[in-house]
Amino acid sequence: MQQTIFTTPAGMQDLLFEESRARRQVEKNLTDLFAGRGFAEVMTPGMEFARTVAASSAAMPEEELYKLTDTRGRLLVARPDNTIPIARMVASRLRGEIFPVRLYYAQTVYTLNHGLYGHRDEEFQVGVELLGAGGAKADLEMIALAASAMKACEAGDFRLEIGHADVFNSLIGELPVSDDDRATIRELIENKNYAALNTALDALPESDAVRAIRLLPRLFGGEEVLETLRPLIGSPAAVAALDSLSSLYRALVALGLGDQLMIDLGMVHRNDYYTGVIFRGYLEGSGEIILSGGRYDNLLSRYGMDMPAIGFAIHVDSVAKLRQSGDASRPVPQVLIHAEAGFETAALAEAEAMLADGVVCEVSPFETTEQARAYAESRGISRLWTVGEEGNE
Amino acid sequence: MKPLRIALTKGRLESKTLDLFDQMGLDTSVVRNKGRRLILPVGDSIEVVLAKAADVITYVEHGVCDLGVVGKDTITEAGGSFYELLDLGFGKCRFALAAPKDKEFFGGYATKTIASKYPNVTAAYFAKKNMDVRIIKIEGSVELAPLLDLADGIVDIVETGSTLKENGLEVVEEVMPISARLIANTAALKLRKAEIEALLDQFEKLL
Repeated sequence: MQQTIFTTPAGMQDLLFEESRARRQVEKNLTDLFAGRGFAEVMTPGMEFARTVAASSAAMPEEELYKLTDTRGRLLVARPDNTIPIARMVASRLRGEIFPVRLYYAQTVYTLNHGLYGHRDEEFQVGVELLGAGGAKADLEMIALAASAMKACEAGDFRLEIGHADVFNSLIGELPVSDDDRATIRELIENKNYAALNTALDALPESDAVRAIRLLPRLFGGEEVLETLRPLIGSPAAVAALDSLSSLYRALVALGLGDQLMIDLGMVHRNDYYTGVIFRGYLEGSGEIILSGGRYDNLLSRYGMDMPAIGFAIHVDSVAKLRQSGDASRPVPQVLIHAEAGFETAALAEAEAMLADGVVCEVSPFETTEQARAYAESRGISRLWTVGEEGNE
Repeated sequence: MKPLRIALTKGRLESKTLDLFDQMGLDTSVVRNKGRRLILPVGDSIEVVLAKAADVITYVEHGVCDLGVVGKDTITEAGGSFYELLDLGFGKCRFALAAPKDKEFFGGYATKTIASKYPNVTAAYFAKKNMDVRIIKIEGSVELAPLLDLADGIVDIVETGSTLKENGLEVVEEVMPISARLIANTAALKLRKAEIEALLDQFEKLL
C-alpha cells in the first residue's frame, strides 16, 4: 500500500499550472464558440449502467470499460463516451422538447487501456450534438462548425477530412461475405492495410464492388477521389453518398476551407454506428486525431426515440499539449500584500482594489514583515506592499 | 520542410531498408557509420530513428515518428492504431505451433500448456480454434519449455526449423506468415500525404 499512495492509476494524471491552464483555455474557446452558436450545456453523471451502454449501437469493447457495481450488484461503467449518455438523456428527459435540440458538453471519458503504451485512460472532451435534424443542411452546418472548432483550438494549421459510412456499407453489402469476413475487410480498410486487403479480396469473384473496395484505402485527397470511385459504384445508397460528399466538399470550399479539406473514402471506423457523413480533424504537429464525429441516425432509436442526429467531439488534452508554452513553473503573483498587526482588514481592502485593477496579488499570512519579505524574495515576487501605521509602501 | 521521420527496427530490417534507400539514390552513409547515435539523416528529406521492434510501433502510434518499419510478428502481438501501408517482402518467416516429434499434439482431453514469447498471438490463435489452453510467457529460448516438460507445445517464429529439429520438436501447424511492414501514423498520412505517398511509390517500384 505504501508504494502506491503517492501515484495515480495508469493512464490518469494530475494537471499542474500550465497544463491545467492550457486545457481550460481550449475548453473556454470551444464552449464560447458552441454557446454562441446556440448550443446549450449539459452534464451527465460519471457512471452509467453497463446495460445502457450495451444497448447503444456504438459497440464499446467490453475490455476497455472501467466497471464497478452499485449497492444492488448492478454493473456500472465509468462514462466511456459522451454521446451515449446524451442519447439516453435526450430520449428520456427531453422527449417532449421542441426539436432540433442543440447540446454541448465538456467532460471526461474513461477508457481502460492495456499495456503501458502511454495512452490516456481519462480524457477530457468538449463536443456538440445536433439532435432531431437530418439532411444535407445539418451536415454542412456541423462540418463547418467542426472547422470553426479546429480554428478555435488556436494550435496551428489543421486538416479536416470527410467521408461517408454508406460508401463502404453499400459496397460490402454487394459481396457474398460472412459477418466475420466483413469485419476483417472493414478493419483492413481502416488500417489502410493494402497488402492484406488484396489477399482477402482475391478469394472473392471479381466485380465492380470488389474493385471499388480494393481502392478504398487509397482514396483520400481532393474531390478527384469521388470521380475515381464513381464508375465502380451502382447502388443508389453509394451514389447518394458520393453526391452528398461532392456537394459538401464544394460548399466547404466556398466557405474558404479548400486548403484544409480532404476526402477519405477509406474512413470506415465504427461503421455500424455512423450512418452518414463522418469527419475527423488533425492538427499540424500532433500525431493524434484531434476531432472526430459524424452522423448517427440509428443511436436514438436504441433508446426508443427514432431521430436523426449528428455530432462531434474534440480531444482537448491533445490540443492542450500543443498549446503548452513549455513554462511548467508555478505561477508567481505580481504583488505580495503584507498587513502589520491591526491592519488586516485594510490589507484585504487593498487586495480587493488590486483585483479590480487587474493586478494579481497574494495576501501574506506571515507574522512579521521580515518573514513576508523573505518569502517574496524566495518566490520571486517583485513587489511587497505593506499596509500599516506608516501608510502603504 | 522538416524531414519525414521513419523508425527502423534495429538489425536486419534496418539494413534491408537502408538497401532500399540506397537503390532510391539516397545517401545512407551517416546511418551506416552511425556509432552510437540513434537519430540519423538519410539525404535531406528523411530522418531515421533506430529502435527495438515494439518501440517502433509505440513511436509511430504517438506520432513522434511518421513512418516505421517493423515485423508483422510485432504488429500482431502488440496491436495498436496506425496504418499498415506496405508489405516490404523482406524479413520473411512464420509463426508456427511446434510440439515434440513423437507426441500427437491435438490428442487427448487434457488442457494443453503452451509456452511463447507472444502470448497475444498464441491466445488469438487458440481462441479461433475454440481451444482452451494455458499460456506461459517465456522470454528466452522457448524450445526449452517442452524439453523441460513445462509445456506441451510452443508458438514461436520459425525460419528454417533447424532449431526445432535439433531440440526434437516439429511444426504442428503454421499460425501465420510474417514479413516486414511499412506502417504510418494516422495523422501523419493525412498531414503529409504527398511526401509519404511519393516515398511509398518509390518503395513499391523496388519491390
